[in-house]
Amino acid sequence: MLEALQYFSMAWVSPQLLFLTALGTFLGIYVGAIPGLSVTMAVSILISFTFAWDINNALCLMVGVYMGGVYGGSRTAILLNIPGAPSAIATALDGFPMAQKGEAGRAIGLSTVMSVVGGFIGIFILAIAAPHISEFALTFQPRDYMMLGIMGIMLVGSLSGESLTKGIFAGAFGMLVGTVGLDPLTAEERFTFGAVELWNGINPVAVMIGMFGLSEALMQLHHLDKVALKQKLDRIIPAWADVRKYLSLSTQSSVLGTIIGALPGTGGDIAALMAYDHAKRVTKNPKVPFGKGAKEGLIAPESANNAAVGGAYIPMLTLGIPGDAVTAVFIGALFIHGLNPGPLLLTERPEMFWFTVGNLTLANIFVLIFGLTGIKLFARIVECPKGILIPLIFLLSIVGAYAINNSVADIWWMLGFGVLGYFMKLYGYQVGPVILGVILSRLVDENWRRAIISERGDLGEFFGQLFSSPLSIVLFSIITLVFVSQTPLWTQLKRCFKRPPRPDDSAHPGKSKDAAA
Amino acid sequence: MKKALIKTLAGVTFAGLLAGTAQAQYPEKDLQGIIQWGAGGSTDTVMRSVTPHAEDILGRDVIMTNKTGGVGAIATKYVNAMKADGYTLLMGAENPQMYKVLGLADIDYGDMIPINVLARGTPIFVARNDAPFNTMKELVEYTKKHPGEIKTGSTGPGGLTSIVLAMLEAETHIDFTGVPYDGDGPALTALQGGAIDIMPAVLGAAIEHIKAGRMKVIGLVDTQSSPLLPDTAPITEEIPGFNKYLPWGPFFGVFVKKDTPAEAVEKLTAAYHEAAQNPDFKDLMDKRGFTIMNISGDEAAKFLDSYRSVSSWIVYDAGFAKHSPEEFGIKRPE
Repeated sequence: MLEALQYFSMAWVSPQLLFLTALGTFLGIYVGAIPGLSVTMAVSILISFTFAWDINNALCLMVGVYMGGVYGGSRTAILLNIPGAPSAIATALDGFPMAQKGEAGRAIGLSTVMSVVGGFIGIFILAIAAPHISEFALTFQPRDYMMLGIMGIMLVGSLSGESLTKGIFAGAFGMLVGTVGLDPLTAEERFTFGAVELWNGINPVAVMIGMFGLSEALMQLHHLDKVALKQKLDRIIPAWADVRKYLSLSTQSSVLGTIIGALPGTGGDIAALMAYDHAKRVTKNPKVPFGKGAKEGLIAPESANNAAVGGAYIPMLTLGIPGDAVTAVFIGALFIHGLNPGPLLLTERPEMFWFTVGNLTLANIFVLIFGLTGIKLFARIVECPKGILIPLIFLLSIVGAYAINNSVADIWWMLGFGVLGYFMKLYGYQVGPVILGVILSRLVDENWRRAIISERGDLGEFFGQLFSSPLSIVLFSIITLVFVSQTPLWTQLKRCFKRPPRPDDSAHPGKSKDAAA
Repeated sequence: MKKALIKTLAGVTFAGLLAGTAQAQYPEKDLQGIIQWGAGGSTDTVMRSVTPHAEDILGRDVIMTNKTGGVGAIATKYVNAMKADGYTLLMGAENPQMYKVLGLADIDYGDMIPINVLARGTPIFVARNDAPFNTMKELVEYTKKHPGEIKTGSTGPGGLTSIVLAMLEAETHIDFTGVPYDGDGPALTALQGGAIDIMPAVLGAAIEHIKAGRMKVIGLVDTQSSPLLPDTAPITEEIPGFNKYLPWGPFFGVFVKKDTPAEAVEKLTAAYHEAAQNPDFKDLMDKRGFTIMNISGDEAAKFLDSYRSVSSWIVYDAGFAKHSPEEFGIKRPE
């Protein structure tokens, strides 16, 4: 125990390690905030950069970048409606409307505190339950991943806005976009029309920057003469009462985020989207409706995506299996520095576990410090005259799209999807479902096929398998329940039950009206 | 190592002085290294651990970028589209040698200059711990009794798993269900969760899991036993038919475009040759179960040719090639 504490505090007591963690977190926040620059890219560049360093120094810097980067994505999502990374997409849904109402400062303050809460919960679960969670994560079969994907797709219901039909259309279009490229399973070309440039598919980040950032900037051209709202800059650090009020939602989202982060096939982006859906389902009467600046819609994804960091470390540290793309790079870094990341790491180098936990905790504290400073300055960005702000968004979108892969083609994709997004918005289609489709299409596509191939194409066997493990049964029941609760059948059933009137009828989460479908 | 470095640097400077000021020396600017596979993968790890040593010798930075997709074809085509000036390096694995027969691209390493084929991996067969077989023979017997029941992970046509499985099927005529994954990492994870039963993988990717007892090794696809797996007999003892394919294995190499100036090729070859002898790099390769090759020039070209001919004909005979190797003048291995 004492030893664990000693390793845990290693980075805390060494000024050098402390400084490197702080520097990493600071850099990470800005790398994360710039759309197109991903944490994965930053960490892999750091591998070459820190090649000759002592491993502890290198790890401190990289852990800082990781933690800061996941948080940083929320900045531009709130201020400019350009999510810095896919894991901040859900943040933009309610964060940006808050900024437009003059509450950018509050939104950033709240998202910072809740990110840190989420981060701590993720780290806590990593520290106390890592071996159990990683064994649990391994039990997910292709069919379970497929069902997770379907649960995610049901979010279309929450993101459709005025018309569910248009939402479904947009979601289906997104899934179609997601299938472009070489088939990940067989390397056959799909919708590439013979162009090698399309083999890699259409980058979801380019779609995201275009649909969110650029199309929003184009929309704003309609109200050029509207004076930007004065931002309210008092009470940026959320009141304790507020934090306490949302702590329960934040904790639920964080636990969800940690588990999704720990699954080797899913990361922070899916965690945040599912947490958003969860928030929408459990919040009966939000003060402000979702999509218009609900605090709950900001808190849930921000807690979840930072909790997913701790989650992603769970299989990495215990089994040597990456929980997401960034931890995959960390595994490479450990190899290069002469360690053997794998199931034996915990026994061969027990100090690595507590050192990492200590490091993550420290980086999380730095997120709080750096996150809460300078908010006033950032919030003012939204106050900029449109003549400056809109070109700025254009510039940031173009640079961001190029940075994804240093490829000019991505800029064209971004512009194309930006213009498309603009027209979609004009005609009442939401862009959220498109991104959702792009992100989830691969998860569903691959795992559905894996599941059915495993049963040699036998549908009967496949459905039988859905009832072969408790996990599959639970996931299948959730999907069925959510789905059925949106059909007329359910309303009729409900009416039957309602005859003897029961006031607390709506207390059951599955029955809530605003459940997604 | 420091000494060697200083010597080399001194040598380079001296040579530079001798050459005078008539012409700028290669490399006069930083180089680009295009990695075929994603961050954190085997190719990425190997390249990022050897290249810093080469940078020391070249005296310039090699800026490495991952350009993934199309089983490495995107990166290969990208480098081939650049100027042949020796400033863009292709850092890749074995996959391009199959591009022609699989119809993925009309170029392969035969159309490039090998700077260094750094190392070769050994394929092995692993199985989930509670699988009812412990050796290749038992696997073959079991599968013959239960055709189609054994699920094996695969990683797309032309990948290591597909080729090793094609060898096995050609020698034993057994029937598997192949479940595709995006790489050996995810497939080995699925193996531990019981989603698949067996998986051919490169030794380095599985060794830590084997040591920890999370999966068992049932076959070593080589002609000699490995010091990392002293208890596993080479597959040629159980299935002698494998002798005609082996030694065969995935490899990692650094390449430049054809018609790159000889001076650049020589300098790069010398730099990578020395970098691959670095003890840190050797240690890393040993731990991951890779055999250091460190070959260049004709020796490398011969190895690449032999790899291409064995693999191309296996996939062609197994029926998943789009073109016959003959179309490209690839000879059948003797």
